[in-house]
Amino acid sequence: MNPFRILIADDDSTIRSFLATLLEDRGYEIHEAPDGEQAYRMAGEVQPDLMLLDLIMPFRDGFDVLQDLKRQDATAHIPIIIMSVKNREEEIVKGFDLGAEDYVVKPFSSLELISRMKRILERSRS
Amino acid sequence: MQTTSELLSQALWGLGGVLTFLFLFLVVNKATRELRERRAAALRRQLALPILAYVNGRGERLGPLLGHLGRFERSVVEEVLLDNARFLKGTARSRITAACEELGFVPERITQLRHRRWWKRAEAAEKLGTMKSPKAAPELIALMHDGVPEVRMRAARALGQLETRTSIKPLIDALQDPSRWSALRIADIIAGMGNAAADELSESFNTLPIKARVAAVDCLGRAKSQRAPRLLLKLLSDPDRDIRARAAHSLGLIGDPNFTPDLLKCLHDTEWPVRAMAAKALGRLGRPEAVAPLAEALRDQEWWVRINAAEGLKSMGEKGLDALIEALSSEDRFARHAAVATLEGAGVLDRFVEQLASPDEKERETALRFVQKIIAAERTDSLTQSAARHAQEKVREQLSRALKPSEVKP
Repeated sequence: MNPFRILIADDDSTIRSFLATLLEDRGYEIHEAPDGEQAYRMAGEVQPDLMLLDLIMPFRDGFDVLQDLKRQDATAHIPIIIMSVKNREEEIVKGFDLGAEDYVVKPFSSLELISRMKRILERSRS
Repeated sequence: MQTTSELLSQALWGLGGVLTFLFLFLVVNKATRELRERRAAALRRQLALPILAYVNGRGERLGPLLGHLGRFERSVVEEVLLDNARFLKGTARSRITAACEELGFVPERITQLRHRRWWKRAEAAEKLGTMKSPKAAPELIALMHDGVPEVRMRAARALGQLETRTSIKPLIDALQDPSRWSALRIADIIAGMGNAAADELSESFNTLPIKARVAAVDCLGRAKSQRAPRLLLKLLSDPDRDIRARAAHSLGLIGDPNFTPDLLKCLHDTEWPVRAMAAKALGRLGRPEAVAPLAEALRDQEWWVRINAAEGLKSMGEKGLDALIEALSSEDRFARHAAVATLEGAGVLDRFVEQLASPDEKERETALRFVQKIIAAERTDSLTQSAARHAQEKVREQLSRALKPSEVKP
């Protein structure tokens, strides 16, 4: 079976590198986007099985990327987990309203993140 | 004897020599710094793999994965660990703390807390806070008596990050000395430490000076401690109006609907800040029995109370919005204006304006009645703009007819 493709969209290279190491160790195929514009473009090209999306990024913010991906037929099916320092109720609700599958507040627990990802990926494959 | 021209020539040579030396010094310095940065970046890439593998659960200790480390390598390892500590919690975060203790970064930074330069002490305190090792607590507590305010504050912040029971007491003690500490900043740190800190703060509340009490009340609301409500409810009848107001606000933050009856009484407090905060808190609690009293509070003499009452109603869903629409026909001008401003902000006005072009006749009639209420409330700025600029001609026509012609701006 092919490994799950994960797109990590975050402008913080330390976070990208941490997540890439964490997920590659567990057999996932990783793609990285350092800004909102590239995140949007790569989601269409790579067709990931799951996307981890930061909200505060250069060129396009995460909400904008999420909204546009959910509007396009080719990318609407991609499950997206928002990962952000924004932790206010209205921001979390907005994320879910725009179609995010889950919302993880930074700082985050890596084990918890893996468990949330597995749940979503298993559901999408079944 | 030397002639003037010889002296001048010697001076110029001297000056040239100094400038050349300075130039060379700057070039060498820059080159060294760049080389060091490049070496650090390469090392960081090389060391990141074993470090992240350890942080993510491989092996019991980081030391054996790295082998022998020189001084420069150690500084890079510490940087990588602390950089990752920024966004992690849980097991991975605990492993970073364990690695900092195992590799000796914690004792090194503890020693640095006694450095003669204040910024070195401040830097050490900050790093120890990020390392989160409880072993640093005693020295950080001692540093809270440092002569430099910035060092004291960094020590306090670091103690807040440790989240140990021993670090709570010195922070509460700091609240008791407003001449040396900013009560707001310390309260902010305590609020971030969670329930245990808030509980101890509740117990020490009566020993605090009045200025610190106001900050402490805020802190209790934000930390949502279980012991806080009993104290906060009692503080609703404190002689100091600021304490009463902040207590009402904090009860709203905790959000238990059982506070509603006590907060409703505060809507009749003689001091307007208490009424304003009670209105805001009632909006957060969202109980239906608060709708009518909040609608009544729209007629308060103080602008702040009216606005908070209107905002409170807005956050209560359909019932709250209905009360605001009802208030458009109030005899009280203040109540009408507060209602219009809030309905505009909630998008209700725009919704009704759009309905003026609805194919459904009933919807159009309801929308027109609403528009007429807004006009009667004497706050027509938004309607006037829509009458001039709305995309749909039908809406512009209806609005222009409802408004007096003189109010429609081109």
